Order: sequence, then structure tokens, then C-alpha cells
Amino acid sequence: MRNDDGDEDAGQYTVRELLTEMKDISEVVVDLAYASLLFDSQEIGQEVKHLESRVDTLNHEIKVRAMMAARKKEEAVALSGLLEVAEAAALISRAAGSMVDLLEMGPSPFLSFVLKDAEEKIRLLTLSERSDMKGRTVEELSVEAETGMRIIAVKRGIRWMYDPEETIKLKAGDVLIVRGTEDGFERLKRFASGEEAWPVYPEEEE
Amino acid sequence: MGQLEEMLLEIKDTSELMVDLAYSSLLYGNQEIAGEVIQLHQRMEELGEEIEEMAVRRSIEDKDVVKALTTIRLSKSVKDISYAALKIAEVVRRDEAPHPVVQLSIRDSDVIISTAVVQAGSDLAGSTLGRVRLATNSGMYVIAIRRGRRYIYGPDRDTAVMEGDLLFARGPPDAEQYFRDLASGEEHLEAKDLGR
Repeated sequence: MRNDDGDEDAGQYTVRELLTEMKDISEVVVDLAYASLLFDSQEIGQEVKHLESRVDTLNHEIKVRAMMAARKKEEAVALSGLLEVAEAAALISRAAGSMVDLLEMGPSPFLSFVLKDAEEKIRLLTLSERSDMKGRTVEELSVEAETGMRIIAVKRGIRWMYDPEETIKLKAGDVLIVRGTEDGFERLKRFASGEEAWPVYPEEEE
Repeated sequence: MGQLEEMLLEIKDTSELMVDLAYSSLLYGNQEIAGEVIQLHQRMEELGEEIEEMAVRRSIEDKDVVKALTTIRLSKSVKDISYAALKIAEVVRRDEAPHPVVQLSIRDSDVIISTAVVQAGSDLAGSTLGRVRLATNSGMYVIAIRRGRRYIYGPDRDTAVMEGDLLFARGPPDAEQYFRDLASGEEHLEAKDLGR
């Protein structure tokens, strides 16, 4: 859902689209913040800051829209609930923004140690030349449905790509930042290394 | 792992569970789940205070000020996330339903919440979440189970699943159908997909 055309376009969205984008960002921004701490990455930290300010813009826009939409008290009450949900998404994004401020204190082996043991872990994975995931998009592959692992960012050379779902065709050598259980990671690793072929479901293929 | 690390990890994992539960309560107007989020927030506040105190005490012993500061700041951010989840749960606890667009947005999201009832013929019935490797096989991660009138929040791989259980799960939109089919018994897992 993320739109990269800059922040001035928020005015064209419906309230539903604004809230959806805010929720989407709030879901990924915390993982990115942990990833930035785990891998001591200023670049990922910058993306977190970018998303935080994007959510602030959206939050402002959604408030304006809600106020314009309310004509009766009941409408105002219903919309105030909506605004509180939007505000919660903004709070989450701000919390993620504060987390990446910890990067200024230098790499913390202590934090990496803590974060490595989380229930759903954040890990790195390199796509092998032998993997048949290459040349396809994350969306085409349905990576998360297939493995339970969510790809939150991709590093290609020195470039980082965020929210890689629809547009990016994976390439050999891509470094994926993934989030999910240990078991799911092991499964995805077998596909990413080329050890196992990506499953094909005949009834769904055309 | 030391006690401080374990507590920090616990509040991190709990804060994420809380956000998922909060969105679930909002999507289904579920008062029980909203109530659980409110209780968890209380616990997070207590744990947060303990962590901060322990971090300061430790720094007096080991002189590692950076570690103490890092711990305290991370704990604060995690508590902020817990507070955000609380705010969502409070919307559910109020008498007036929020605007219907809220539910639509949650359904439109990259990360959706879904429910499924476990039927008698399902691979899940009588198994555990770890044995069926539900998250890995279906992409949907179970965050709560309603069994009769009881709820199990934040189940782990050893949690048993029984016929009649209502599963609340979080995952990508394209995983929902298979997850539901597995629960209904329409789809089955192959032996190679099962865990120990």
C-alpha cells in the first residue's frame, strides 16, 4: 500500500485508504526498527524515520477528513473512534522512531542478544543463484502464505528496498530481511538456497 | 539468558501480541479480547518498572551505563506500543461502535486478522500448533484460541488444538483461505509438512 510519490499526495486518498496505509506502516515499522538495531543499520533507521513522518502526515490528513465528514453527533462519535485507531497507529510508528534513536549510542551486543531470541525472529537470508525464487516477485510467490515468513526489506548491492511485495523481482544475491518463526525460517532458507524447489500447485496454475 | 534480557524479551513479544489482539477485538467487536489487552497493559506497566529498576541497579554493579540506558529506552518504546494497543482496546470497550471504515481498513491491510473453527476432520483437531506447524504451513499465526467460554492468549507451539476451537490468527490476505480450509478439514497437510 505504500506510496513513494512523496507526502503531498495524501490529500487524494479516501479515509479508508489513509487508515489502511497507516495500519500497514505501523505493522512493518516496528520490525524495521528492531532490524535496524539488530544489524546496526543507519539506512534502515532512516527508513523508519521516513515512515514515521509519513504516518504523521497521514494522521493529520485523516483528522481533517473526519472533521469535514461529521455532520451529526453520532457521526462525530463514530469518527472519533476511528481517529483514535489512527492515533494508535501513529503512536506505534513514533515508538519505532524512538527505538532507532538508540543507534546513536553505538552497536549494542546486548540488544542483538535479546532480539535474537524473540518469538518471531528477524533474520537475514541471501538468495542463491540456484534458487527458483529469483526472477519472481514476493507477491507472485506468496512467500508469507507459503512459509509464514514476511519479507520486510531487500538489500541489493548497496541499495535497500522496502515493502518489496509487488514491484520487485527477486535476484540472486539479494539479501532479504525476514520476520517469522524459526521453523518458517528454516523452510524459507531451503527455498532461498535452492536446496528445494518452490512448490507448484497444479490446480492453481493456468 | 539473564533475568533482565528475559524480561525485556517478554515485554517485546507481549507488546506485539497486544497489537494483534487489539486489532482482532476491533475487527470483531470482541469485548473479551479487548479486556485482555487492557489487563496485559497493566502487566506491561509493572514489568516495565521492574526492568527500569533492575537496569539501574545493574549499572551500579557493572558500570555499564550504555546498557542501562539502552534497556530503559527500549523498554519505554515497547511500553508506548503497549499503550497504543490499549487505546485501540478502549475504543472497543466503549458503547458506541467506531465508524465501519475501521473494520474495512483492517481487512484491506497487508496484515489481516482472520478466524476459523476447527472441525472434527481437521488435521488440527487433537494436535498442537507446533505439530501441524500452522504458521509455517499456512502463513497464519494464531494469536488467540477460544475454547467454549475460555480464551487462550498467545498460544505457543505446544498448545493443543481441539475440535470446536475458534482460532484467531494474523497473516497475509492470501493465506486466509488455506488456513480456513485446514481448520474445516477441507484441506490436509502432507506427512512431510508435519513437525515433531
